[in-house]
Amino acid sequence: MKRHMKKSLALGIVAVTAACGGDGGPSASNDPFCQQVQPRVAAFMERARAENPTPSDPRYGGTVVVGSIGEIADGMNSAVSTDYSSTQHQQFVNLMSLINYDDQVNARPYLAESWELSPDGRSITFHIRQDIYWHDGERTDAHDVAFTYEVVTDPLTAFPNAAFWDHYVKGPEGVEIIDDFTIRIQLEPHAEFLDPFRTVGILPEHLLGDVHHQELAQHPFGEQCPVGNGPFVFVEHRAQDRWVFEANPAFPAALGGRPFVDRYVYRIIPEQTTLLTELLTENVDVYLAPRPDQAQDILDEPNLQLLAYTFRNYIFVGWNSRRPQLADPRVRRAITMATNREEIVQATLLGYGRVAQSSVPPFHWAYEQESVPVLEYDPDAARALLDEAGWRDRDGDGVRESADGTRLSFSIKYNTGNQQRQDVAEIMQSQLAQVGVEARPQVVEWATLLQQINTPELRDFDGVVMGWVTEFKLTDMDLFHSARIDQPYAWSGTQNPELDRLLEVLSLTVDREEAKTLWQEYQAVLVEEQPYTFFYFPDRLDGVNRRVQGVVMDARGEWVNIKDWHLDPASR
Amino acid sequence: MTKYLVRRLLGAIPLILGIATIVFFAVNLAPGDPTLYYISPGMTQEVVEQMRVNFGLDEPVHIRYVKWLGAMLTGDFGYSFSHSRPVLDVLADFLPNTLILSACALTVAFLFGIVLGTLQAIRQYSFRDSALSVVLLFFYSMPSFWLALMLILTFSLFARNVWEWPIWFPASGMMSTDYEFLSFGAKVRDRLAHLVLPTTSLACVLTAGIARYMRGSMLEVIRQDYVRTARAKGLSERVVVFKHALRNALLPIITLLGLFIPVLFSGTIFIETIFAWPGMGRTIYEAILTRDYPVVMAGSFFFATMVVVANLLADVLYAWVDPRIRYE
Repeated sequence: MKRHMKKSLALGIVAVTAACGGDGGPSASNDPFCQQVQPRVAAFMERARAENPTPSDPRYGGTVVVGSIGEIADGMNSAVSTDYSSTQHQQFVNLMSLINYDDQVNARPYLAESWELSPDGRSITFHIRQDIYWHDGERTDAHDVAFTYEVVTDPLTAFPNAAFWDHYVKGPEGVEIIDDFTIRIQLEPHAEFLDPFRTVGILPEHLLGDVHHQELAQHPFGEQCPVGNGPFVFVEHRAQDRWVFEANPAFPAALGGRPFVDRYVYRIIPEQTTLLTELLTENVDVYLAPRPDQAQDILDEPNLQLLAYTFRNYIFVGWNSRRPQLADPRVRRAITMATNREEIVQATLLGYGRVAQSSVPPFHWAYEQESVPVLEYDPDAARALLDEAGWRDRDGDGVRESADGTRLSFSIKYNTGNQQRQDVAEIMQSQLAQVGVEARPQVVEWATLLQQINTPELRDFDGVVMGWVTEFKLTDMDLFHSARIDQPYAWSGTQNPELDRLLEVLSLTVDREEAKTLWQEYQAVLVEEQPYTFFYFPDRLDGVNRRVQGVVMDARGEWVNIKDWHLDPASR
Repeated sequence: MTKYLVRRLLGAIPLILGIATIVFFAVNLAPGDPTLYYISPGMTQEVVEQMRVNFGLDEPVHIRYVKWLGAMLTGDFGYSFSHSRPVLDVLADFLPNTLILSACALTVAFLFGIVLGTLQAIRQYSFRDSALSVVLLFFYSMPSFWLALMLILTFSLFARNVWEWPIWFPASGMMSTDYEFLSFGAKVRDRLAHLVLPTTSLACVLTAGIARYMRGSMLEVIRQDYVRTARAKGLSERVVVFKHALRNALLPIITLLGLFIPVLFSGTIFIETIFAWPGMGRTIYEAILTRDYPVVMAGSFFFATMVVVANLLADVLYAWVDPRIRYE
C-alpha cells in the first residue's frame, strides 16, 4: 500500500505541474473554414511585411492593451451585429465600412473614396478604393460591397437593425455593380441616409458568398477566424479572455498607412475592481467605461488620465400608458416635475452626466439645450397638476386616488445588478411619495425583464428604468410612432398624431438645417407627452495610461482613431 | 469490486439523464430567449421571428427536448448561440482551464489542510492548536469572493504601487499579453504567477475545512492501541506520528475529495469572474444570462457527470487504501 500511495502522490504532483505549466488555451481552430484561410493569411502577412518595411519613426511598435468587462459579443460578423464594441471593431479595427465621420459627424471617405447622389436623390453611387486587400490577399471590390448589401437587407439573415434599410430598395434589386470598383444603390431620399454605410463593415464575398444567409450568424468567420481588410489583422481569439490583432503593414498610405502599434490586445475582465487594479498596475493601458465612483482613483494616479465626454446613451423611466394610472400625459408630466433629476445626476453619476429633457443626445447636431422646454423640479406645480387631472387623496392614506377609486400607485422595474438604475428607482420612490404618488421599485432579471416589456401581448410593467444607445441616424419611430405599437420597443404605447406626423417628416428630411427646426418642434411635443421621464445622458468615461499617446475618443466611439495611437518609446 | 463498479455506473445513468432533463426544462421555460440579447430599436418582430428560426427555437419545447436528447445520445451537443461554434469545442476550450484551477486549489488545500490538522492534533489543547483553530475558523467563514478581492488589493495593487515589493501577482487572466514571446521557463513562471491569487482564494476555505477533519481523524488514530504500542517500543515521536498514525488518519480524508468537487465547481464561478479566468463556471453563468441553451445544457451535463464520477472515485479509492472495506 505504501508504494501505491507514493506512486499516486507522485503522479498527482506531475499531473498538476504539467497542467499548471502547460499551454492550456485553445489550440488553433480545427474548423475546416479556418484551416483553409489561416495559411493564406499567414502568407499575406509575410509578403506584406517584406514589401512594407516599418518606417523608422520612434512612434512605431509595441503592444497596446484595452480592458473591458464584456466580450466583443458578435465578433467581426457585421451581418448580425448591433453590439457596440462589435460594430466598433468592424468599422475601425478589422473590417472597413464605406464611410467614416469626422468629429463634426460629417461623412468622409473610407473604403469608398467618393460617392455621388443622383439628382433625384433616388440612387447613390459609391467608388470603391482600389488599394484595399483582404488579409488573405484578395482585393476588395464592388462585388464585396454588393454581397454585403444583399446579405444585410435579406430578411433571412435577420440583420438586427432592420430600420437601417427602411427607405432603401432591399436585396439584389436595390444594388447594381457598374464596374469592379463602382456600385450603385437604390433608395428613397431620407434623413441621414449615409449612416448605415458608416456602421456596416463590408464582408468578403469570396469567403462567405456560398454560405446560406440563415447560417451566417453561426459561421466561424465571426469569432474564430475573421478575415478583414482593415488596419488590423486578426491573430487570435480566446473566448472570454482576449482578442489579439496585429498591424496590417499593407494598409494604404493614403489612409495613414499601417497603425503605429504592432499589436492590439482586447482583454475581457468582467469584474470592475479587478479591471481597475489592472489599469493601476499597468497591465492594461485603457480601461473602457469605468464606473463614476472609480473616476477619482484614476485621477489620483499621475501616469493615468481620465477621459470624460458626452456619449450616445440616455437613461430614462418608460411609462406604460396602457395603465389607467399612467394614461394621462398630465400625470406623467407631474411625475417628472416631482423628480429632482439634477440631484440624481449628482448622486448616482457624481456629476459625470447631464439631465436629459428628450431623446436628442448632446453630441448630436440637432441638440440645442436652450430651445427645448424643460420640466423643472417643482413639487408644488406637480401637486397642482395632479389635482387638476383629478387625482386627489380621497381617503387620507397619503396616496392619491382618481374619482373611480384607482390609486396612483405603480411599480418601477429595473434589472438585477445595475446599481445606477436601482438608485434611480429608489430615489424616485422617495421623491414621488412627497406628492402623494406611490412608486414601488421592483428588481427583475435582465432577460426576464426584456421579455416582460418587449412582448407585445404582455407589456407586464408600469414603469421601467432602461437606457438606449442612439445611432447617429436618430429616429424614435420604433419607440413612439403609433404604427409600430405592436413592435417590441413600443414600451410606452404612445399614440399621439402630432408625434406621428413629426416622426414621419423627420425621417424623410434630408437637409440638417431644416431638420433642426423640426427636431425642436418634435421635442416640444415629446416633453408635453412624456412617454418617458428622461433622466440623464451619462458621460462616457475612459481610463487611459499616459504612455498611450494620440488617443481620441468621442461619441463616435473609443476606437475611432486606434490606428493613430502610439506608445511612448521609453515605456516599451 | 468490478460488479460494484458496474452497478454504480449503471445507476449513474438515470441520475445524470434526470439532472439533464430538469436543467433542460428549467432553462428553456425561463422567460426570455437568446434573441432578446439583440436589443436595439429598429429590430422588428419579423426579425425576432427570423432569428428564432435561424437559432432553431421556433419549435415547441417538448419537440426540442426530444431532438436535443436524441442528438446528445449520439454525442452531438449542438451549436452555441453566443460563441457561434459547436458546444463541444466551447467546452474543450474552457473545461481544461477550470480543471487546472480546481486541481491546483485541491492540491494546495489538501497539502496544507493535512499538515495543519496534524500539527493541531499532536498537541491537542496547546496554544498552537487554539491559535490555528481561530485562524482556520476565520478563513472558513470568509466568503471566497471577498477574500479574492482582498488578495488582489494586497498582493497586486498595494504590493506594486504602494509598498513597492519586489514580487507582486497579476490580478487577472491565465497568462500575460506577451506570453507567446516568452521563453519556456518564463512561460511556466508566467502561468504559475497567474495561478497564485485565484488558487489561494479557492484553497483557503477548503484548507480550513480539511484541517478540521484531519485534526479529528488524527486525534482518533493517536489514541489507538497500535500507536501506544509504537510509543512503547521506544520509537521517536516523529516516527510514531508520521509513519504509524498519519497514514491511518488519512483514510477518511480521501472521502472528502468526492465531497469537495461540487463545492469547487460552484466556487469557481465567482473566482473565475473576479480573476477573469476563462473557465467553465463563468461560461455557464454567462450562458444562463444570455439564454445560450446548448452551452447551459452541455455544461451542466458535464458537471453532473463529473460530480457523480468524483463520488464514485472517492468510494473506490477508499476501498483501495483501506483493506477492511469491501464493496459487494
